[in-house]
Amino acid sequence: MWRVTLKGLLGHKLRFMLTGLAVLLGVAFMGGTLVLTDTIQVIVDDLFVSVNDGTDASVRSNEVVDSPFGKERNRISADLLPQVRAVRGVAKAEGEMQFYAQVVGSKGDAIGHPGHGAPSFGFIWHPGRLNAYRFVAGNSPSGAGELVIDRGTAKKGKLHVGSKVKVLSQSAPADFKVVGIVTFGQADAPLGTSVSFFTSDEAQRLNGAVGQYDEISVSAVDGVSQEQLVRRIDRALVDPKVEVITGATLTKENQDEFTQQLSFFSTALLAFALISLFVGSFIIFNTFSIIVAQRTREIGLMRAIGASRSQIVKSVIAEATLVGILASAVGLGVGILLATGLKALLAGFGIDIPAGATQVLPRTIIVCLGLGTLVTIAASVLPSRKASRVTPMQALRSTGSDRMKQLGRRSTIGIVITGAGVGSLLYGLFGNVGDPTLFVGIGALFVFLGVAALGPIIARPVSRVLAAPLPKLKGMVGVLARENAVRNPRRTASTAAALMIGVSLVGFITIFAASIKNSISTSVDSAFTSDFVVAAKGGGPPGLSGFSPALAAEIKAVPGVGASSGLRFAGAELEGKGVFIIASDPEMSMQLFDVNPERGDFKQLGINDIAVSADRMKTEGWRLGQRISAKFPKGVSTLKITAVFGMGQQAGLSDYFVSLDAYNSHYTQQLDNQVYAKVADGANPRVVAQDIKKVLKQYPNAELLDQEQFKATRSEQIDQILNLIYALLALAVVIALIGIANTLGLSIVERTNELGLLRAVGMTRRQLRSVIRWESVIIALLGTALGLVIAVFFGWALVTALRDQGLSSFVAPIDRLVVIVVLAGFAGVVAAILPARRAARLNVLDAISQE
Amino acid sequence: MATVTKTSAARAVDASKIYGSGDAEVRALDSINVEFAAGMFTAIMGRSGSGKSTLLHVLAGLDTVTSGEVFIGDIELSTLKDKDLTLVRRDRLGFVFQSFNLIPTLNALENMTLPLSLGGRKPDPAWQDEVVKAVGLGDRLRHRPNELSGGQQQRVAVARALLSKPEIVFADEPTGNLDSRSSSEVLSFMRAAVDNFDQTIIMVTHDAGAAAFADRVVFLADGSIEDELLNPTAATVLDRMKQLGG
Repeated sequence: MWRVTLKGLLGHKLRFMLTGLAVLLGVAFMGGTLVLTDTIQVIVDDLFVSVNDGTDASVRSNEVVDSPFGKERNRISADLLPQVRAVRGVAKAEGEMQFYAQVVGSKGDAIGHPGHGAPSFGFIWHPGRLNAYRFVAGNSPSGAGELVIDRGTAKKGKLHVGSKVKVLSQSAPADFKVVGIVTFGQADAPLGTSVSFFTSDEAQRLNGAVGQYDEISVSAVDGVSQEQLVRRIDRALVDPKVEVITGATLTKENQDEFTQQLSFFSTALLAFALISLFVGSFIIFNTFSIIVAQRTREIGLMRAIGASRSQIVKSVIAEATLVGILASAVGLGVGILLATGLKALLAGFGIDIPAGATQVLPRTIIVCLGLGTLVTIAASVLPSRKASRVTPMQALRSTGSDRMKQLGRRSTIGIVITGAGVGSLLYGLFGNVGDPTLFVGIGALFVFLGVAALGPIIARPVSRVLAAPLPKLKGMVGVLARENAVRNPRRTASTAAALMIGVSLVGFITIFAASIKNSISTSVDSAFTSDFVVAAKGGGPPGLSGFSPALAAEIKAVPGVGASSGLRFAGAELEGKGVFIIASDPEMSMQLFDVNPERGDFKQLGINDIAVSADRMKTEGWRLGQRISAKFPKGVSTLKITAVFGMGQQAGLSDYFVSLDAYNSHYTQQLDNQVYAKVADGANPRVVAQDIKKVLKQYPNAELLDQEQFKATRSEQIDQILNLIYALLALAVVIALIGIANTLGLSIVERTNELGLLRAVGMTRRQLRSVIRWESVIIALLGTALGLVIAVFFGWALVTALRDQGLSSFVAPIDRLVVIVVLAGFAGVVAAILPARRAARLNVLDAISQE
Repeated sequence: MATVTKTSAARAVDASKIYGSGDAEVRALDSINVEFAAGMFTAIMGRSGSGKSTLLHVLAGLDTVTSGEVFIGDIELSTLKDKDLTLVRRDRLGFVFQSFNLIPTLNALENMTLPLSLGGRKPDPAWQDEVVKAVGLGDRLRHRPNELSGGQQQRVAVARALLSKPEIVFADEPTGNLDSRSSSEVLSFMRAAVDNFDQTIIMVTHDAGAAAFADRVVFLADGSIEDELLNPTAATVLDRMKQLGG
């Protein structure tokens, strides 16, 4: 049997390659992701080891808040430093700070992209063991107005020792002199970040943190272990709000934190790789089904001469196994190459990953080969069973394409699976489950499988509708294309199903993004009564960037500005739950936003007051005037609910609002994320805008936007993510197209006689190509139509589920969906190129005389 | 009865078809000269390997000659490109093959009008009525080939060949797969087309009974004309075949 299997494979190299390609691409994607993330992981792990090299213990506050924005920790008193230094066994102890500081280059541009790239950090410079940086020029900062920068920042800003630079930070922009340029090992700076170093006093002054540090790094004298050192320091310090950890623990924490971020990235990529594999499995299923149908005679003959059913099953499975193993192995190889390419791509985006050996872990090899092969085998199980049902008698009859049987049973199964999928998905989204991912994922999977099972039943009527205009447009060519597309609904359906998956995800994400954009636009329109917003160029995550409060003060002072305030996004824990809150000037906010205060006194929000949205009050069951526990970076406190307002997260803002004064007293870093301004009555908005722009000259990281521009920048950010997801889904679509090409190719082999006849009675090559092209387009449109129906359902379900979180409207963007349909049609044309060419090349005489 | 004096519908002049080369060389047609009169039903007979199918194929523009010339009317086929050959087949010729004559996805009527609709033409309604009536399919016109009997399928194929009013209908063993009753139905239909509509038909067959429906029988051996017979009957054909060592 093995020899038969092998011969079968070698006899059809092209088919073998196309089938393999469907697996190969998915495996390559998966392998590339695993290799890339493993490689980055090892590099970054090493990086943190060198960053913390020499740090045997770290002293820091144990007050930390865990919120949607990550961890924020309180500062510690600088008084601890002499106490630590006095501990026996301490060789060296230094106060550390890490904060937002962005250097402005010689051309007036802020260096680094805190918004969507590597961040810009400021640190305290201290020479010696606790510092992983080395000078390439100049030397340490020795006083006010001096700083050291990394070589990358110097290059980008065209700066050198002696240059005067402006530095953006929590303090108003100020001039500094570059006194030194450093490197981090071989690299300019870790991962392409832009870093700058100041004296301890300067760093504290810039952050309004005189007498404070973020943490104290300690190195031990020889012979004292990290644990011993930690124990001794811990004993010496009495402050209950301070904790001491070993250098090893710190490194581990840093590494774990990064691993977590990386795993978000790798999980997302792996999800797309799995989608590609899933789509690939349809192609394999389809190819094997067609092959089995075409080989009915051959299989019948083998049964007649004594092959058992299980031998037939085994021969099909063996063929699949071989295809799976070979394709997975090649896919893994391609994936490894791909990882190197992706790394170069990241470097192109400014994320400079230092050189490091490409990591191909045994896990990667096992997962890629195992999953690729398993998927291939699993997809061939049904066809192999069908092959085993061939009777010896069928060897005698002519090969027929597979007929539809058990329609009733099929529709029952299909409906049950689809129903289960829909149920699971809706339960995940609306059932108040802790982590909906599993239910939603399984639900989506079942919907795909269920619709695919129903496919053969719906393929014929839907294709007929889709192809209805064809006979009018293309005459007999159109009729033939339509009839060919529906003659074997099972085959057409499973070919279309592969594309359906890709299209449904593309359509879903398109609908979802359009709904988000529309919601943002609506909420900006309805909630923002201000005229201007000053926002960071390219946006930016809170904490890593922002504006000095000096900017808001300067804008407020611009003549013609009526109301103005900085706005801050922050994380906090309320009643033990991590939440997103905003802080702004309450009185000004009432003019800048349509806050819609309902109860209490919004204007009078003080340091220990909070305003809560009416929605949230209802869901939490809180009362006006109630006190709730709150945890901020600067410690635990009790807040009084002094006001209830209408514009909550549903309207696109936040459910929690505190005053800037409250923020000042509960948070360490004081940066505005945005500044809002409203033009005073009678003032000329254009003049005011000009004046604000003058102020912004000092803040090259900021840009002035009116409402429309603000909406546009938000849309752009969503489009960027959308495009990224399109790119990731592209592979699944390409695999589906390979599937269409493969099916058409196999069908052509089957229809050789018929094509020969058509050519004999006068069909031109061009007409024949057209028939195949239009058949392909019909299959593609069928997949697209089914995909879009699923997309609308997915989109509607998710948008509805997220209504509480500010997704106010469900939008199916007709223009974009039409583009998807048109592109799918073109894709069908492309998929048909090779099969059509092959059909047109058939020798008429050979074709008609072939048995 | 028709006579040879009619104008020529197709002819081969010194036509040779050679497959392979050297020792493996096969001369399927060996400098053959033959003419087929318009309005006549001609049968080509010969043993397998005699070149009868090859002759039909080169006359019908399905295959090309290695040397010599082949004419359909005044058109010399060997100079034509694939596109023009295809159009000649579509617009000027009709075909009936031994099996697999019909497109399974099209119904009987659509199959009949296939060559016309490929050329974007509509059949002459009166002519269509006449052919449809002659084919005797009655209410089965909208049925697909797999719902028709073998004889019905071949009659549909003949009707297709006739419907475009071609200069010549080529039939390659049109009754090869049929029982005698169905064969007779198909052949009578072809005969009627020649008698009533003045259709030219060239048919390859190995069946003396089928050849008896023709006006003229051409006997081929080793790629050239060995003999011919006018106004044949089954008996005279069999007799001649015996003489020729068939």
